[in-house]
Amino acid sequence: MNDVIGGTVGGRVLREDAWGKVLGQAAFPADVRREGQIYAVAVRSPHAHARIRGLRLDEARKAEGVVAVLTSADVPHNGHGVLYRDQPVLVADHVRMAGDPVVLVGAETPAQARAAAGRVEVDYEVLPGLFDPEEAMKEEAPALHPEIHGGSNIVYHLPVYKGDTAKGWAEAEVTVERDYQTQMLDHAFLQPEAVLAYVDERGHLVVEVATQYAHYDRGEIAHALGLKFNQVRVRTRSVGGAFGGREDISLQIMAALMAWHTQRPVKMENTREESFYSHSKRHPMRMHYKTGATRAGKLTVMEARIVGDAGAYASWSPNILRKAAIHATGPYEIPHVRVDAYAVLTNNPYTGAMRGFGAAQPVLAYESQMDLLARELGLSPWEVRLRNIYRAGSETATGQVLSGSVGMEECLKAVKSYLGEVSGR
Amino acid sequence: MKIELKVNGVDRRLEVEPEERLLDILRERLHLTGTKEGCGEGECGACTVIMDGKTVNSCMVLAGQADGHAVTTIEGLGKRGSLHPVQKAFLEEGAVQCGFCTPGMVLSAKALLDRNPHPGKEEIAVAMSGNLCRCTGYDRILKAVERAAGEVEQ
Repeated sequence: MNDVIGGTVGGRVLREDAWGKVLGQAAFPADVRREGQIYAVAVRSPHAHARIRGLRLDEARKAEGVVAVLTSADVPHNGHGVLYRDQPVLVADHVRMAGDPVVLVGAETPAQARAAAGRVEVDYEVLPGLFDPEEAMKEEAPALHPEIHGGSNIVYHLPVYKGDTAKGWAEAEVTVERDYQTQMLDHAFLQPEAVLAYVDERGHLVVEVATQYAHYDRGEIAHALGLKFNQVRVRTRSVGGAFGGREDISLQIMAALMAWHTQRPVKMENTREESFYSHSKRHPMRMHYKTGATRAGKLTVMEARIVGDAGAYASWSPNILRKAAIHATGPYEIPHVRVDAYAVLTNNPYTGAMRGFGAAQPVLAYESQMDLLARELGLSPWEVRLRNIYRAGSETATGQVLSGSVGMEECLKAVKSYLGEVSGR
Repeated sequence: MKIELKVNGVDRRLEVEPEERLLDILRERLHLTGTKEGCGEGECGACTVIMDGKTVNSCMVLAGQADGHAVTTIEGLGKRGSLHPVQKAFLEEGAVQCGFCTPGMVLSAKALLDRNPHPGKEEIAVAMSGNLCRCTGYDRILKAVERAAGEVEQ
């Protein structure tokens, strides 16, 4: 079998890693083992918002096969995060979302670790939760991260203003105003998170994991454990799907902490349910759009307010709401624009990277607006798009002049015959 | 409890716990880690193996229920240099991305072609419907099975 079918350019190249995958030899982190490894399980909060009044760990510590039971007191620097270190390795006192890890149990077998984890008692004072980002962004709402994010739950606001919207409205002959909302999504990559962590013969901490971001993982592990970068090595094993969901820390620091503490190899493997608790989600966005156009079908103005639910931790929220804001007009040239995008902390599962990175959600709003405008104008949805798309020389809402190749018109014309009966509806 | 089973043509005698699953003994005792656990509830098909010619989710089969049966895992198919036609077709069609579903997909396809060497598109789709993939969108996988059927025919 040849590795390249056809010429070098335009030929089909066989994936180097596909060999091991069709043979069942590719090693995902759950597939690797070390002699003498123990198993760790995280005890996670069932409550979305709570204060921890106390922990009762005696029964768990006495349970069969238990090697160590660790808490926030065992974490030298208890925070991690891609932009802000606002997410605890193990919660000390303030639970901010369901699934926050509180206690880490290590035992000789997976069954013993799970049994001992079941004997950990956490005394929670359950607090009212902030689940609606519109409520959470109000001034009187209690701040979820006063130390790191200050008195407001708004972790990010990006205004994108262009031209003069008053002028745009004066020119508009047709207006469409609507509210749109997208839902929270999980990447549901097929391989649940797993980690093997151990101290090697040089005394270095080695963490084998399926990750999108090995160098970042190394930094966060080293920081949390109070180690130097050169004491930590992260080895990326086969990654069983990620789609953005493996950019943040999930089990890496917990497994590393247990290995460093016990000086034994430590395996952690999420069940599917634990996987849902331990990685980010796609941001649900609420989008209020108001768009104006002339009778001739030219867009004159657009105003949008986009509120993204960041959940309990910032993760990539600022970058994602930035993308949402700069893509808010879609591929349409609009002379007068006012967009305000916000990322707001709540007690929902934290949200972060997922395919499209914030550019995917506004599509629902701006394309629906185009369809509704077409209906108002008695034009076909295709025609109203053709009259407003970016072309070479167009200026985006952020002031970027598209000087290079812009294929929108060519693309629209190419797909027209596939659209079937396109009418103004 | 003691069980006896044939795994990839080799007779195995094992002392297992009553709550252990076929998946656990394959992975943890026999170190055949090509069989993956994706959900643990028979939904995703990543743990698919062939038992007496039929595909099963090995997370839904207790080790005791495999007593006396013959099991084929991905390790029991081809090797480098002598790939099974399904493995070769997956490779050539670009049907592999992250690879976590691949062993289960390959075994579902093999079981189909063993009982029906000339499946239609519909039969292929039905036979593969118990295996979830989150990367590919399935198109290349279905094409690979068609391609493998063509090669089996020759």
